[in-house]
Amino acid sequence: MNMNMLAVIINSTIRSTTPVLLAALGSAICSQVGVFNIALEGQILIGSFVAIVANYFTGNVYIAVLCGMAAGVLVASLVAVLQVKYKAADMVIGTSVNLLVSGLTSVLLSTILGVKGSFSSPDLKSLPKINIPVISQIPFLGRVLEQLTFIDYLSYVLAVAMFIYLYRTVQGFHVQSVGKNKEAAGSLGIKTLQVQMLAVLVSGALCGLGGAVLSMGQVTLFSEGMSSGRGYIAMASASMGQNQPLIIIGSSLFFGLCQAAGVSLQNMIPSQLTLTIPYIATVVALSAFGSKKLRRNGGKS
Amino acid sequence: MNKIRSFVKWLGGILLQPVIAAFLGLLVGAVFIVISNENPIEIYANMFQKSFFSPYYLTQTLTRATPIIICGIATAAAWRAGYINIGVEGQMITGAFAATIVAIYVDLPGAILLPLSAVVGMAAGGLYASVVAVLNLKFNSSIVICTLMMNYVANYVASYLVSYPFKDESGDGLSLMTRTIPESVHFIRFSSSNTLNFGIVVAVVIVALFYFMGKKTVFGYESKMTGLNPDFARYGGIFERRVMLKTLALSGAIAGIAGICEIFGYKYRYTDNMFTSASYAWTGLMAALIADLHPVGVLFSSVFLAGLQVGGQAIQRSSTIPLQMATVIQSSITLFVSAKLGIKFLKSNRLKKKRREQGGGSL
Repeated sequence: MNMNMLAVIINSTIRSTTPVLLAALGSAICSQVGVFNIALEGQILIGSFVAIVANYFTGNVYIAVLCGMAAGVLVASLVAVLQVKYKAADMVIGTSVNLLVSGLTSVLLSTILGVKGSFSSPDLKSLPKINIPVISQIPFLGRVLEQLTFIDYLSYVLAVAMFIYLYRTVQGFHVQSVGKNKEAAGSLGIKTLQVQMLAVLVSGALCGLGGAVLSMGQVTLFSEGMSSGRGYIAMASASMGQNQPLIIIGSSLFFGLCQAAGVSLQNMIPSQLTLTIPYIATVVALSAFGSKKLRRNGGKS
Repeated sequence: MNKIRSFVKWLGGILLQPVIAAFLGLLVGAVFIVISNENPIEIYANMFQKSFFSPYYLTQTLTRATPIIICGIATAAAWRAGYINIGVEGQMITGAFAATIVAIYVDLPGAILLPLSAVVGMAAGGLYASVVAVLNLKFNSSIVICTLMMNYVANYVASYLVSYPFKDESGDGLSLMTRTIPESVHFIRFSSSNTLNFGIVVAVVIVALFYFMGKKTVFGYESKMTGLNPDFARYGGIFERRVMLKTLALSGAIAGIAGICEIFGYKYRYTDNMFTSASYAWTGLMAALIADLHPVGVLFSSVFLAGLQVGGQAIQRSSTIPLQMATVIQSSITLFVSAKLGIKFLKSNRLKKKRREQGGGSL
């Protein structure tokens, strides 16, 4: 394998990682406060859709990104109210929210944009690509960092920021305590319900951002069900990363690599088979991680 | 007399929430219909006319309901035991594909071939689900995520198989599908003028068997107990691991039957994406949730949801409302039903709190 090809693969890995990483951070913040949020998939999908709609009508990518995030928060608020506040079963709420969003985006696709299946238009603006002046001239590194958007960089900044907040500030420890022992946290005067609901809303914003980069980053279009299981992959990524943002960067890069591999191997193997790679990898990785956890617990007890 | 009154009260108690939820769900749909510049009353009248209120469309609805009912039971079987299987779609694809291949390539008389392919299909679906069960037992991997991932894997692999090794070359070459299964294994149809077939009988029998299993068999009891209270089940000597493996295998096998009924009763071949695009498994899941995982309830909620879809197809042809409106209504109903569950939970929590405050016995 020559260096150029390697650079292309790394580049494509980075770009595929971003949506998964953002959603995984969302999953992590929910898990940290003891909420099992399975509606990430729907939060991503609505973000992708609303971002494209806003993009089409305003022509401004930044407004589009903000709208996508707002839509993610809106969907997350369903989870926050029904699941966290009114304690409805997490799986029921999560799956029905995901199904609702998938139906809703299809309906709105035809009522707002008048198309079925997918929408793209030359009027759509894609996210501006950042070319750092000096680095883009360096042969290998320039190729690796080619065509990245500001959200690609932002996702790592967010991961580090979340780490610092959760593990290096008093407030962060308070947040964590809600997940570890809700009643004890409550007795310390922490408003546990508020913290949990807020965490879900933050996950909505993160997933919405991930959705926006999905529909306006590598490609600029929306197609039905384009999140294609990324919400669940992100949950796997967060659980592999033990809900710790810095480790999650690593696990998300792994899933990004699998997705990049799925796409780039299509030249050699029929695409139907290569497209299974990210999903099989998720199952395998979850199993590998689970065994580690099991053994460690076994050792402790 | 008293018995009748209490029965009516009991029935009302069960039906009240789903009916309210259905009404609210239709209301949500109406909002979107108004946004699309159509008259919701007209659309709904048309929709129900073309799903329940004419004999031909009713048979269409029941044909569509067949796999949905069975998928609903497959979902309920796993969820009731506390194992969240959202991979019914993948198990359905695997089971149906295996059965179809056997039916096409094994040369036997129909009376032997049909049961053989059905058994192979059920085994394939069951095994596919068992993979996740084994992974969970050995490595503690999440059932929810793994079963969902396996949906994509099954659909892509089936898509590959139908594009290359098992592709029907006699057609125009553009449509990706297998050859048709021999006529000797087709399910009988009740009338030549519509598509309703023996599959609906299979569905009703599965509902009845599942109901019976829950009430009368040891496995049914064990499975329900692990769902209700795993600690108690363990204390009572139930082997949770064995129950889980059996439950998921059963759920997968039932999912396989759903796919078999659709192919052997209606479509007669596997076509690429046929189950994912019709979204049978997810509709079955919603039906199961609306019915609170009760088998008889699943039967009725599935028929209702199938009616929404058949009606949705009809209005898609005659208006600007897309078929997916049915999905929006369905998932809204599911959300409203579960919101009710939430309020019930809240009430019982308040009750517990009150009792605790009053110093009553612990719960």
